[in-house]
Amino acid sequence: MRPILLQGHTRSLTQIKYNREGDLLFSSAKDHVVNVWFSHNGERLGTYNGHIGAVWTVDNITFFNSLSPSTCIAASKLLLSGSADNTAKLWDVRTGKCLHTWEFHTAVKRIAFSEDDTMALAVTEQQMGYQGAVAILKIDSVLETGEQDEPFVINPEPTKAVVAAWGYLNKYLIIGHKDGMISQYDWKTGQKLNSKHPHSDVITDLQMSPDRTYFVTSSKDKSAQLFESNTLNPLKKYVTDCPLISASITPIQDFIIVGGGQDAMQVAGTSRGKFECRFWHKILEEEVGRVKGHFGPINTIAVHPDGKSFSSGGEDGYIRVHHFDEDYFKFTYPEFQHIGA
Amino acid sequence: EDALAQTSVSKEQIAHRRRLMDEWNAWRKRVENELAEERELAGLPPIDTREDEGVEVIE
Repeated sequence: MRPILLQGHTRSLTQIKYNREGDLLFSSAKDHVVNVWFSHNGERLGTYNGHIGAVWTVDNITFFNSLSPSTCIAASKLLLSGSADNTAKLWDVRTGKCLHTWEFHTAVKRIAFSEDDTMALAVTEQQMGYQGAVAILKIDSVLETGEQDEPFVINPEPTKAVVAAWGYLNKYLIIGHKDGMISQYDWKTGQKLNSKHPHSDVITDLQMSPDRTYFVTSSKDKSAQLFESNTLNPLKKYVTDCPLISASITPIQDFIIVGGGQDAMQVAGTSRGKFECRFWHKILEEEVGRVKGHFGPINTIAVHPDGKSFSSGGEDGYIRVHHFDEDYFKFTYPEFQHIGA
Repeated sequence: EDALAQTSVSKEQIAHRRRLMDEWNAWRKRVENELAEERELAGLPPIDTREDEGVEVIE
């Protein structure tokens, strides 16, 4: 499993995302740009220039089962990014043209298309008298009219939202909070529907399963956890020995990939190339393997939609694309071999 | 005796893993049914997760 190293960003990676087909990988970084790469060979296809601050987040459509096939096709050509320059931008994937810019009072820390691609959520930072918020952006009306409606804004409580995702059929939003709480919000009314407090520190990532019936969270509290979307009931917990920054669900094997690491300051010089992506058995809650290589904490992990490869983006400025080898697909616990996979 | 003890431990382990897998599979069945019902109510086609999805069959 020799990784492909994608070199092109000059500062830390913040988020990576595959497109629906998995042939493209989008990356956002603190160097103010979003890049797009061919995922099979790591060649850089292009750069989206326009932000004037760190780009914290990027999204394209990754799931197979969106609500309306026609809008999906349009959306696979669209890209969203959110930045420390207090804007969110909508891009044409192929031309690199910025189609629209939403302006906010504070940085945009997380952005995500809705399941039907007609909307997006934008998590905005809490600072200088502005409450942390989740704004609902109308993508379809911007594309039709070229003008934006005033975004509907939710103010999650009691602590600010740091990550968020849409439930299946856009039933609700799932929000991860600064204090380790998770909550479910009605995005039409802004009402809180449900909440739990499973983590003891900030939630760093929240990724949905392909059908959005469950999701994984990672936290600085060194654990990743799995929840049922509709009820927020806890399903599984993966306890590690380092603060986690990202967690992703693999579609083929029943694994969770987690990554993170101590801040570079704390480990300087001692652990070059030792930052690892850890594989956990999703159902049995046992660690099954590690992949090392990054020279700094792992900030973001994404799994190819076909489940045959994954990528990690690091504080070190590199993206590593790993294609799984034969052993990965053959992996099974001896006692389950006869069950067949 | 040691070997026997180990066998019994791993038997417990096997039983534990089996139980976790069975629980998971039962839960998946339940939520997948829920999702299918809700999609049908919304007038949407069922989710097709087969690997050949998107491949057009030309006859």
